[in-house]
Amino acid sequence: MAACTKCGAELETPLVCGACGTLFAPEPEPTPFECLGLAATFDVDAALLRRRLLRASRLVHPDFHGASGEEARAAAERATASLNRAHALVADPAARADWLVRSLGGPAENEQRQMAQAFLMEVMEWNETLEAARESAPGSAARSGLPALEASLREQRESVLAELHRLLVPLPARGAPALAQARAQLNALRYLANSLTQIEALRLDSPSPR
Amino acid sequence: MGFIELNVLNNAASNVALGIDLGTTNSLGARWKDGRPIVLHPEGGSGYVPSALHFGEQGGVIVGREARELALLDPAHTLFSIKRFMGRGLKDVESDARSVPCPLSETQNGVVQFEMRGRKFTPQELSALILMKVRDQACKALGGIEVTKVVITVPAYFDDSQRQATRDAARIAGLDVLRIVNEPTAASLAYGLDQRKQGKVAVYDLGGGTFDVSILSIEEGVFQVLSTNGDTHLGGDDFDRTLVEVAKKELAAVMRPSALEDRAFLQLLRLAAERCKIELSTDPEAYMHVSLPESGVQWRRKFTRHEFDALTAHLIERTLHSCRRALADAKLPPEQIDEVVLVGGSTRVPAVRARVEKLFGRKPHCELNPDEVVALGAAVQAHVLMGGTREVLLMDVTPLSLGIETMGGAVAKIIQRNSTIPCQATEGFTTYVDGQNGIDFHVVQGERELAADCRSLGRFKLKGIPALPAGMPRIAVRFHIDANGMLTVTAKEESTGTSARIEIQPMNGLSDGEVETMLNSAYRNAREDFDARRAADLRTEIGTMARATERGLSQAGPALDRETRRDVEEALAAAKKAAADTQLDAGALQKRRDELERATLPLAALLMDHVAKAALSGKRLDEV
Repeated sequence: MAACTKCGAELETPLVCGACGTLFAPEPEPTPFECLGLAATFDVDAALLRRRLLRASRLVHPDFHGASGEEARAAAERATASLNRAHALVADPAARADWLVRSLGGPAENEQRQMAQAFLMEVMEWNETLEAARESAPGSAARSGLPALEASLREQRESVLAELHRLLVPLPARGAPALAQARAQLNALRYLANSLTQIEALRLDSPSPR
Repeated sequence: MGFIELNVLNNAASNVALGIDLGTTNSLGARWKDGRPIVLHPEGGSGYVPSALHFGEQGGVIVGREARELALLDPAHTLFSIKRFMGRGLKDVESDARSVPCPLSETQNGVVQFEMRGRKFTPQELSALILMKVRDQACKALGGIEVTKVVITVPAYFDDSQRQATRDAARIAGLDVLRIVNEPTAASLAYGLDQRKQGKVAVYDLGGGTFDVSILSIEEGVFQVLSTNGDTHLGGDDFDRTLVEVAKKELAAVMRPSALEDRAFLQLLRLAAERCKIELSTDPEAYMHVSLPESGVQWRRKFTRHEFDALTAHLIERTLHSCRRALADAKLPPEQIDEVVLVGGSTRVPAVRARVEKLFGRKPHCELNPDEVVALGAAVQAHVLMGGTREVLLMDVTPLSLGIETMGGAVAKIIQRNSTIPCQATEGFTTYVDGQNGIDFHVVQGERELAADCRSLGRFKLKGIPALPAGMPRIAVRFHIDANGMLTVTAKEESTGTSARIEIQPMNGLSDGEVETMLNSAYRNAREDFDARRAADLRTEIGTMARATERGLSQAGPALDRETRRDVEEALAAAKKAAADTQLDAGALQKRRDELERATLPLAALLMDHVAKAALSGKRLDEV
């Protein structure tokens, strides 16, 4: 772990020194895991992640640099933006897996377009249900199947995440075949997430009776 | 005039930062003192500054309570609810424009202007006048300390243009804005500190013109906003409007159509509707009165609370819809919310309380004054920003997704709504033509798929790109949403390392030059306003002195010698004449006032004597 260039203390995050409070603007930009002082892993300890976020935030947040001039304020803005972005990525399993696959030289999402025929048939069925629901009034028969579809999609989402966990923990070697398999799971996850978003939109947009 | 604080060292002045709630209906200032936030009010006053402006014949503008009182006498020259126009263009404000008593126009950059008494005012300038009034009230309460540093609250759902307009208003008022903070977030700070609460909290904030809901997690000094939703065009004003519509429909039988649409008349209707609504919050039924003696219109209509609830049900439903969206974004079902905090005057409407309670399945928390809690929270934030404490960590979010218009008019989202701020995203751009040295892109804010349906933040022009074959330049454009929820855009050409220049054409915004001009004229007007205020105070004082003198003359007059009595009578007549003369300035009034004071000195002495004698002869003082 690097040391603070000003006071020599060990740095938990490259964005700020926990001992003397000096803000840094590291180049090139550190990875999301580095920003939070965590080793790159799919198996993130949620409680530890939150502790790291709060600890670093208390050091870098612009609220605590308001009285120290324009330059310090701008540095705090930058560091906090990096930290928040890092946290958003690490906290989200899909974004986290996507980042790990890419950083280990795995295929990008458009390089692994092949999806299992059976899965694609299933996606077409979801879309038909969604389309029919969209074209009918809230409370009608065409919408009665949505809760069941939602439950099924959530279940599938959980099993895809479990599969990702199996493929990415421990982290595979650079270029390992597991990365391509993880990418395929991530693509399936996108279909699932997309359909779940549409179900939520249908549920929220149904105007309630006055 | 009294002060609540006297012994403050002059050098302490710069350490006072105000929290200001710049509201649609009322505005209020607060500060941190002795470990807690307090509302600032000059002794005897509430501190509330009604967000109302009256435009006088002589070109002066009166702000606050007096302006609201003048609205009844002169509705054609009084403006309310300026906040609904902040950061907006003419086409955005069509429904509000109907309740404005003056014509509206637009600047070149799409900023609404009110045309009053032959002058044009932007909402930014008018909000600046309100801010100056709040600042002056606070200064008075602080015993004359000058305050320039402020935290100003805005609705959480305000977009970039509306935030920018608020900041510009503060600059025009000569204030240094430490932070723009979201109203429900500010409320949660005041609530969380006051109650030492932990857990998941929903803040339901229904004000005069805007609605916000924020879902927060509060634990050990960390205030983290999980999601926010709202409607910057939904508030108590809309509740009033439902009553106005009923009145118009029924008055159509007795009034000409043109008279019904008269802007001043509509202003009167609005005020009558507001009164009726407020009564309905405490009484099961209330009357709305409209009286126009000159046209022989006397209208009185009973509204039951039941009828009012039916008229406004769709408005409340819109707020609940926002609540459901906020809950979905926070990934929390309603039953996991530990407390619902009500903020904003419109949460006094019983139906609002009942339906919020039903949605969340729990009684809302109503112990905090819904009109003060936002200003108090802003004062907490001001205290944090002045370096007062590190115990409070506030993590807020951006309410709307940020995107770039793509070919074909769709939106590519680069920052998702409810991202914790400050946040950033970098996008790569390149050229399509050899030697192309500029690139245009269009930045929008909103959740809709098409750029045309989102709010345009402006068209950005990248300039100074080195002449290279098409596709070669790599321009990294960095979008940063700061802790105020406001966007800054910077760009760098990566192959050569030169920073590209960005020109921004703001939509519905003021240019720096315009702000500068307004700042200068605001100073000039402040001087004029100060004089006008002094003149008004002097007129009141002369009135009081005249009444006392007349009473004195009737009691002790016969005891005065003829010459002294004549002096008093002459000075009295001159002072009364001066007070009635609206053309006289403060200087002339001061002279008449002083002359009256001098002339009445012998009378005062005589009266004292009289009182003393009366006391000695056994009479009680109040019998004298």
